Amino acid sequence: MSETDHSDTPEGGDPIVAGEYVLGVLEASERSAVAQRIEREPAFASEVAFWDERLGGFADEVKSVAPPEAAWSRIEAAIAAPSAAPSAAPALGALWQNLFFWRIVGLGSSGFATACLIALAYLGTVAAPERAPLLATLGQQGGQPGFVAAIGSGGSLVIVPASLLTANQKSMELWLIPTGTQARPRSLGLIAPSQPVRITVPPNLVPFVTPDASLAVSLEEPGGSRTGAPSNDIIAVGKLTNL
Amino acid sequence: MDAIAANRSQLAAALARVAAGDRAALRIVYQDTSAKLFGVCLRILNDRGEAEDVLQDVYVTVWRKAGSFDPARASPITWLVAIARNRAIDRLRSSAVSRRSEPIESAEDVRDDAPAALDLVVAAEQRERLKTCLGELEERHSAVIRSAFLDGVTYEQLAQRMDVPLGTMKSWIRRGLMKLRTCLER
Repeated sequence: MSETDHSDTPEGGDPIVAGEYVLGVLEASERSAVAQRIEREPAFASEVAFWDERLGGFADEVKSVAPPEAAWSRIEAAIAAPSAAPSAAPALGALWQNLFFWRIVGLGSSGFATACLIALAYLGTVAAPERAPLLATLGQQGGQPGFVAAIGSGGSLVIVPASLLTANQKSMELWLIPTGTQARPRSLGLIAPSQPVRITVPPNLVPFVTPDASLAVSLEEPGGSRTGAPSNDIIAVGKLTNL
Repeated sequence: MDAIAANRSQLAAALARVAAGDRAALRIVYQDTSAKLFGVCLRILNDRGEAEDVLQDVYVTVWRKAGSFDPARASPITWLVAIARNRAIDRLRSSAVSRRSEPIESAEDVRDDAPAALDLVVAAEQRERLKTCLGELEERHSAVIRSAFLDGVTYEQLAQRMDVPLGTMKSWIRRGLMKLRTCLER
């Protein structure tokens, strides 16, 4: 090999192309071409795996940095959102009927006011440059507010419990119910019964965040719904409205 | 079984459970590896917000693709590091943000930068093998290979950093890789 090398296809062939990909020295267009080969060509994928494994030792030199606490809840929310849409989702009508199963939990109005303030204050810190947020009060049976949620136009959502709720070792899962006839509930992830939770609405669901869409909270088995649809145990629901 | 080997089999078992759809197992994987992977992303992106976004993306990818992890071919941590680096590099290439261009670290800096025991991710023999093989390269070749891996920079950026023509940089890295591969295969 000469002192300088201007070729796009290196002398060493695939093993070297794989090494260049793993090192990360390729430009965006070259990288995506190589990434496609990894998907299609098992022999080439093996070359990449060779370098990933052998050069992995370099990562020992990188200092570990603890990610912020909120990072995990974002991941949990993202994996709770079913990407492969299951077909077993109930119609919106069935969901509303289930509101009769809301559990009755006492609350004071001061809790509601506090929750509103927290939701707005929190969203204000993350969504300042965005358009006005949408707000929802998720009522329980009898109309008492169970949660207050605010969503910025970029999809940053915060949901705050407005009363004392118990999950009885179940998980609470938050659902977005779009407007329209195709209104299948979409999971936004698990939430906590006792503290504010920040969730980033997945980009594919952001278009469904509109005035008159609804948010609902269901009780699910620990870890959340495995079917992609909420259980019959809906504990709170409310429409999104403009502030 | 030493600590790293024990950790490795524990992580491999957790990944197998993740592949079966076990959210609690993903939590275990996250607890064991997120600080290392966040460090890797942060090093490449040099921006906490971007690194947090990529970190989320990484574990969502792990959730979806844990079934493709093959313990016969890769160790769990190098598999995870590869996902994190690829996501971080893809993000870096797609963003218009121009990167800082810093001079490459000297060999002295590298030796001073000994990692803490807890930060070690690969088995001692594997680490030694890489070190030995890098030692067989010309120093400038091994230095740019290391720098490329850690910082996720392009040929072009490496050439600028080292103040050499692009063709020269390609030649250095490719020669280095060819020699390295022969050595690592032994």
